[in-house]
Amino acid sequence: MRGGGHTRVRIELNPQERALKLSTVPEPVRSLYVHVPFCAHKCEYCAFYSAPPSGGVIERYVGALVKELELIAAECRPSTVFFGGGTPSLLTLKQWETVLSAMARLGLSGAPEFSVECNPATVSADKARLLRDHGVNRISMGVQSLDEGLLERLGRVHTRDMVFRSFDVLRAAGFSNVNVDLMFAIPGQTPEIWDQTLTEALALGSEHLSCYEVIYEEDTPLYQQLQAGAFAVDEALACSMYDHLRERAAAAGFQQYEVANWARNSATAGPVVELPGVSLAGIPSHACRHNVGYWRGLDSFGVGPSASEYVRGLRSRNWANTDLWITQLERGRRAKEFAEALSPRARAGEMAAFGLRMNAGWPWEEFRTRTGLDLRDAEWREDLVGLVRRGWVEETETHVRLTPQGLRFADAVGEILIRVDEAPPEAVRAPARTLRLEAMP
Amino acid sequence: MDAAHIRNFSIIAHIDHGKTTLSDRLLHRTGTVATRDMEDQLLDAMDLERERGITIKAHPVTMLYTAKNGEEYELNLIDTPGHVDFAYEVSRSLSACEGALLIVDAAQGVEAQTVANVHLAMKQNLHIIPIINKIDLPHANIPMARQQLEDILAIPGDDAILASAKEGIGIEEILEAIVARIPAPKINPLETFQALIFDSYFDTYKGVVILVRVTAGELRPGMHVKMLHSGRSVEIKEVGSFNPKPYTRAKLENGETGYITANIKTPREVKVGDTITDPRNPSEELPGFQEIQPMVYSGIYPINTADFEGLKVAISKLQLNDSALTFQTESSAALGFGFRCGFLGLLHMEIVQERLRREFDMDIIATYPSVIYRVKLTGGVVKEVDNPAFLPDVTYIEQIEEPIVKAFVICPGENLGDIMGLISEKRGVIKNTETLDTRRVMLTCRIPMNEILIDFHDRIKSITRGYGSMDYEQAGYEVSDMVKLDMLVNNEPMDAFSSLVHRSKAENRGRTLAAKLKEVIPRQQFQIAIQGAIGGKIIARETISAMRKDVTAKCYGGDISRKRKLLEKQKEGKKRMKSIGSVEIPQEAFIEVLKTN
Repeated sequence: MRGGGHTRVRIELNPQERALKLSTVPEPVRSLYVHVPFCAHKCEYCAFYSAPPSGGVIERYVGALVKELELIAAECRPSTVFFGGGTPSLLTLKQWETVLSAMARLGLSGAPEFSVECNPATVSADKARLLRDHGVNRISMGVQSLDEGLLERLGRVHTRDMVFRSFDVLRAAGFSNVNVDLMFAIPGQTPEIWDQTLTEALALGSEHLSCYEVIYEEDTPLYQQLQAGAFAVDEALACSMYDHLRERAAAAGFQQYEVANWARNSATAGPVVELPGVSLAGIPSHACRHNVGYWRGLDSFGVGPSASEYVRGLRSRNWANTDLWITQLERGRRAKEFAEALSPRARAGEMAAFGLRMNAGWPWEEFRTRTGLDLRDAEWREDLVGLVRRGWVEETETHVRLTPQGLRFADAVGEILIRVDEAPPEAVRAPARTLRLEAMP
Repeated sequence: MDAAHIRNFSIIAHIDHGKTTLSDRLLHRTGTVATRDMEDQLLDAMDLERERGITIKAHPVTMLYTAKNGEEYELNLIDTPGHVDFAYEVSRSLSACEGALLIVDAAQGVEAQTVANVHLAMKQNLHIIPIINKIDLPHANIPMARQQLEDILAIPGDDAILASAKEGIGIEEILEAIVARIPAPKINPLETFQALIFDSYFDTYKGVVILVRVTAGELRPGMHVKMLHSGRSVEIKEVGSFNPKPYTRAKLENGETGYITANIKTPREVKVGDTITDPRNPSEELPGFQEIQPMVYSGIYPINTADFEGLKVAISKLQLNDSALTFQTESSAALGFGFRCGFLGLLHMEIVQERLRREFDMDIIATYPSVIYRVKLTGGVVKEVDNPAFLPDVTYIEQIEEPIVKAFVICPGENLGDIMGLISEKRGVIKNTETLDTRRVMLTCRIPMNEILIDFHDRIKSITRGYGSMDYEQAGYEVSDMVKLDMLVNNEPMDAFSSLVHRSKAENRGRTLAAKLKEVIPRQQFQIAIQGAIGGKIIARETISAMRKDVTAKCYGGDISRKRKLLEKQKEGKKRMKSIGSVEIPQEAFIEVLKTN
C-alpha cells in the first residue's frame, strides 16, 4: 500500500532519551491525547465532558495542563498527538502559544501526526497559522451537517457558510491533511438532505472523512427528546443512509478503514507515521494514525479533565471535573478518577474486539506478538468459527477481519470475543504506578 | 373440670368486624391475660395474620370464668381460620365446639365471608349466638343488622347481643350467654378414650404439637395412643392448654380442649380430623375425616436459579406448619428448577408466596395458577391434571371437566350492573339476587374456579371502590370446552406460559400474552415470531423484526473502557438467558410477563 513516494520519518532519540533507555526505563509512550473541556455551547447530542468557559477558568486550565504535561513528559515521546474536546480551537492565540511552547520545552513537539479538533466557528487565519507554525499538521473539523435547519437542531454554533470559509482558511494556512466530521440519521434528516450534505462535504476535497450515526447518549438533550417521544428512531433509514455514504465516499476516492472512518490513500501523501509493532498494510495513507493506535491497543497518555490513557497495562481516567483536576495539579498531582488493570486474556479479548472495527482486521501474527495470545488458539476458535458461519468474519492465511455485514454488527462480534475477568478488574484509586510517575523528574 | 362446666366455642366474623378485639376482651375480662400483658390482637401470632386481619392457624385458648350463678366454668375459645380456603380445617375446628359467636358489624352488616362460615357452622349443628358489634359507631344501624341476620342467615335478630368490643360494652352479657346458651359437651358413655385432632403446629423443641378436643375418657402423659387414619401409635409426653401461651396440665378430660405432644418429628403424620384412641381398645373413628387435597396449583421458582436449594429448605420449613401445602420438584425450560406447589385455594396460595418472600427472604416468581381438571380419556380412564404440561394429547381426550365454585358476591346496589358484567365475563351464571338492605345486594352465582384465580377479587374491590366482598365454596365439576394454549417463540413452546383456558378466552389471552412478550423479548439478529397456538392452530401472532445493525459509531481511546464494560455486562447477561428456538430470552422477560399476568 505504501508507495515509493512516501518519506519515512524516524524518530531520533535525544541524548536524554537514550540515557533513559539505557537505564532500563521502558520504551517511551508514543501517543498523547490532550482534552480541552470547553465549548461555547453544548451540542444536543454530546455526552463528552465539557463546560462553557467562565471567568479565568481557561487560564487556570492552561497552567494545570502544562503541569500535567510536565509530569508525563519523561515517559512520553509522541509520534501522534491529538487535541480533542470540547472545542480545542476555543483557546486564544496566547493560550495556544503557552501550551505549544511548553510542549516544545518538554520534548513533546515534533510528532509526525499532530491533530487538533476545530469548530468551524472558531477557526481564524491567525490561529490556523500559529498551529501550523508549531507543528500541528492535521485538523479535524466538526462539521456534522451542511443543512442549516439540522445544524440548529443539533445545537451547533456554526453555520454552513462558516464551514466553507474555515476550510479555505485552513488550506491557506498550509494544512494538507484535514478531516471532516459528519453525522447522519439525525432526527429530521431526510435521505435528500443527507445526499446534499455528502455532495457538498465531498466537494471540499478533504483528506479524511469521519461519519457517525447519531448516538443517543444518556444525559443528553437529544436522548431526553427521544425518550419523551419527540421523534422515533428509524433503523432502516439509518442503514440506507450508511449504505449511501459508503457508495458516495468510495466514488469520491475514499477508502473506508474503520466503522466510521474513511481516508484518501495517495502516493503523494506526506510522511508515513509508523507505529511501533503495527502493520499499516491495508490502511490508507491518510488514516488517522492516532486513532489506529487506539484500535490496535497501543499505549497512550491522556491529559486534561476526563482524559483516558493506557500506559503499560494500566488504564486510567482523569477526573471529569475541571476544578478538581486543576486543584490536584496545582498541588503537583495528577487527578485520577479510576484505574484498572486487565488480565492478559481479558486484555487480548478487548484488543480483538476493538481492532476488528478496522477493515484491515487483525494480522494473526501481529495479534500474537502484541498480546502473547493467539486468536487461532482454542480459546477463540469456537467463537470465530461461529462468526464465520454467520457471515460476519472472514479468515485468511494472514488475517482475520470483519465482512461488510460484520462491520454492521461490530458490537455483537466484540461481545462474543471479549473475555470477562473472573474477579472484577483491579480498580485502584490514585494507583501506585501513577504515584511513581509523578515522582519522576 | 366436669363436662357440665365446660363450654367450647369459636367466633365467626368477617375481616374487621371485631373478632380479634372481642377475643382480647374475653381474655382480659376472665383474667386469663392481665392488662399489662395485653398486646393488640393476642391471638393472631403471625405478622401476616395481623396485617391482613385473618387467622390462618387455629388458636385455642382456655379461660376460667365465674358466672353470675357463682359457679366456675372452663371456656375454650377455638379461634378458627376465617377463610373458606381452609374450609376443611374450619369444619374440624368447629366440630370441636358446641357453639359459635357470630359477629356482625353494626355499620357494615352481613358480609359474604360471614355467610360462607355460618353455613359451615350450621352444618356442624352449633348453637349460634349472634352479636351485633361496634354499636358505638355513629353510623351503626342496629335494626338493619338484626333484619339481615334474619333475612340472610335465618337467625332470630332479637337474640342478638348488642356489643362494642372496643368500648367493653356487652362483654359480660356475652360471657353469660356462652354459659347459658351453649350446651355443655355430651358425656360419651364409651369404655375407652377418644379425641379429635383439629389442628397441629410444629415446635422446634417439642416436635409436633397436636391440638385436640377430648370426646371420651381422658388423656394423660405416658399413655400410648393411636391415630386411626395415619395408623401411628405414640406415647403422650405432655398435655396442656393455652392461656394463650401453652401451659402443661396433669390431664385433659372429656369435653376439654388442649394439646398433646409425643415426640413426633414429621407433621405430615398428624392429620387434621383424625381420631386419637386406645390402640388396645379402639373407639369408632370420628365422622368427617378427609385427606386434605390441594385445589390450586402453581409453579414457584427462584428468581435467581442459584437459590433453588434455599427455596427447597424454605418451602420444607413452611410445610412444617402448613401441612396443607404440597410441593414437588419441577423444571421449566424458561425458569429452571422450581417446585410445583399445591394450595387449598387462592388465599392459601397468596399467603404461602408472601411468607416465602417475607419470612424466608426468597426472591420468587410464580407461574400462572391452575385448578385441577378431570380429563376423561377415550378409554374411559379419568386423569386429574393440574399442570397444562401434562395434559394428554387432544386426540385421546374425550372430555375435560373443570371445577366450579358457588360464589357469594355482596356489592353496593349502584355497582350491580358492573358486577353482573364481570361475572358474565368470567363465564359465571347468576343463580340468585337478594337485596340485603337499602344499599346492598348479594349475588349468588356458579362460576368456574379457574376464572376467579387471578383478578376476580381485585376487580370486585376496584368496581365497588372497596365496598364489595366475595367468598366461595366448592360446587363440583362440570364438562367444559377447555383447550391448551401454548405460546411459541420461533415455533418452540415456552412452557412457563402454557395454560388451560376456555375456548372462548383463548384468542384473547393469546393476543395479550403475545403482545406482552413482544415488549420484553429483546430484538435479535433474525426475525422472531411469537405465536399463540391451540394444537396446530395459530390464534395470535406478533413479530419482532430483526436487528439490522449493532455497532457503536464512535469508538476512540476514551470510549474503549466504557464500551468494554458495556459489552461485558451484555455478555454476562447472555449467560443468564434461556435459549428457546435459538432465541435468547432473558429470564427477566419471563418474570416481567408472569408478574403482569
